[in-house]
Formats: sequence, C-alpha cells, structure tokens
Amino acid sequence: MKDCEVIESSLGAWLDGELDRSEAERVRIHVQECPSCLGEKERLERLQASLKGVLEGGASGLAFEPFWDGVRQRILERKPWHARLWDWARPAFYPQRLAWAIPLVIVFLLGILSLEQFFPGWRWGLNRGNVAAVDSIDGHGFNVAVFRESKTKTTVIWLFEDQEDENESSGESASTDSSF
Amino acid sequence: MNLLGNPPRLTLLFSFWLLLSSGSLDAAEKGQQGVQLNIGTILASNESDDFDPKLSKIKNQLEVIKYRSYRLIKEENQKVPWNGNAAFEIPGGRTLMVMPQEYRNNRISLKVRLLAGEKPLLDTTVRIRNRGNFLLGGPAHEEGVLILSISAMTQ
Repeated sequence: MKDCEVIESSLGAWLDGELDRSEAERVRIHVQECPSCLGEKERLERLQASLKGVLEGGASGLAFEPFWDGVRQRILERKPWHARLWDWARPAFYPQRLAWAIPLVIVFLLGILSLEQFFPGWRWGLNRGNVAAVDSIDGHGFNVAVFRESKTKTTVIWLFEDQEDENESSGESASTDSSF
Repeated sequence: MNLLGNPPRLTLLFSFWLLLSSGSLDAAEKGQQGVQLNIGTILASNESDDFDPKLSKIKNQLEVIKYRSYRLIKEENQKVPWNGNAAFEIPGGRTLMVMPQEYRNNRISLKVRLLAGEKPLLDTTVRIRNRGNFLLGGPAHEEGVLILSISAMTQ
C-alpha cells in the first residue's frame, strides 16, 4: 500500500518523462503489476489528453506570430553602449557581491595609509605637522632660544655658547623657558 | 549558523578581522622595533655661498637660520631601543646623547643632551612627529656654527 502511494506520487513525472531510467523502470514494473496504480495512470493519461485538447483548441485562436516577431526583434535589436555596459556591470551590484566592497575599501584605505610609510610626505609634504613640541629645556648657564617657523614647520633650538661668560658675570640665570 | 553560505556576514567578519589585525600589528611593530635616529651635523657659515646638495631635503628649514653657506660634515644613524641611550660624536669634542622615551599620537618623545667633554651644555625633551626632525644649533666650530638636524623614525 505504501509502495502504491510512492508510485502514485511519481506517476505524473513518469508520464512526462522526467524520471531517471531506474526510477522510471521501477514505476513501469509496478504499474504493470498493480491494477490500482494502472487505473490511476490511465486516469492521468485521460486528464492530460483532455487538457491538451482544450489548450490546443484555445491556443489556435491566439495570434502567436506577432508575439514571436516581437520577441525576435527584441533579441536582434542592438542596444546602445550604455545599456550593454549596464547589463554587463549589473551583477556586480547584487547585494551578495556588493558585500565584498567593504573589505576592498578597507584594504584600499589601509594601503593609502601605509603608503606614508614607504613614501614619507607623499600626502601633505614632508613638513606637515613637523613642528616639534619642546617639553623642557635647560641651558646649564647658557642662553637658549627656541623658535618656530610656521611656513616650513621648522623648530630650532639655539644655544648661545659664547655668552656663558657674560651670563656668569651678570649673575643672570639661563633661560629655561621654552615658550619664547 | 552557516557562515560560509552567507557572504555578507562572512564579509563583515573578514572586515572586522582586517581592521583588528592591522591595528594590532601596527601597534606591535611600533612597540618592538625601537627608534631609528639620524643626526646630521651641518656647518653653517658666512664664508661662502656654497650649499651642500646633500642638504637639499632640509634646505627650506635651514633657510630659517640666516647663514650663507651650509655643509653637511657628518651624518650618523643609530637604531636605539626605547629608553636606550645613543651617543653621537659631534665635531669639536662634543657629544650628543639621545634617548627615545615614548611614542604617542604619532610623536616620538626624545630626551636630548649635548655635552662638551664631560660638561653638559644643554638638556631638553622634545616631541617630534614620526619621521620628523628639529634643529639644534649654536655651538661654534671653525669659522661658523654647528647645526644638528635630529630626526627620529619608528616603523
């Protein structure tokens, strides 16, 4: 009984020739030996024949020729270059494929950032942000000057070595302030 | 949860991993490799109008100091670990001691000491941009003055 249920569910596919060879053979043998399934097969065949008759009768009234002409024309029609380009590129914008753009963008940005390592100053010039910050300074009795030049971002610490005697004689302490 | 069958989720995970690994690698490299110090000793004078072509990269910086002639008389590189001391011999019996202290916000903190023999002339702590430099000048030498271009780089 269970066999019959399985075979009946495969009958439609068998009649349409959609089963593989071994499966089709199994159904054929069963149908030959089982009156119930044979009956079911004959019922399906009659149903298919009726449907075919109805469809063919109805379809004869339809004008298929202009329809197929239109299809043929659309196939043969040469699209403009931008439409063909879009057809070619469109799959790349499918969400699943677009997802790969995220790591691609990250790799690109990391590449840009690491270029600075191999080509220092390529982005904003060598001197960008080159201004040094002097946290502390002690001239040990000598005058010291710190100056910065904004255009070239240069920081210079200047030691007035030859003024030691003058400072010592005047008793002034050396400059320890970096903020002038 | 089938990750392999879900490209967007897999992509997001990959992106996250990429960001994490790039950040941690960067930090690890900077922490381990120490600092490359470069000291250029330049003699500035008004004896001539010669400009040493080897100094072309810092020409605009040197022009801040109003001398007519600049000549690179010595250049020395040393790789130093963090908080390690590097000593550079400077013409005229002077010594430059440089100690890289820390790296923060793309800036390297350097403790710098200039000595004449045993006598300290200058002590300073300066923070410079990674691969940046500053100039230390003033000590008299021959017919001019010495200018030291001190630069530091960490990978």
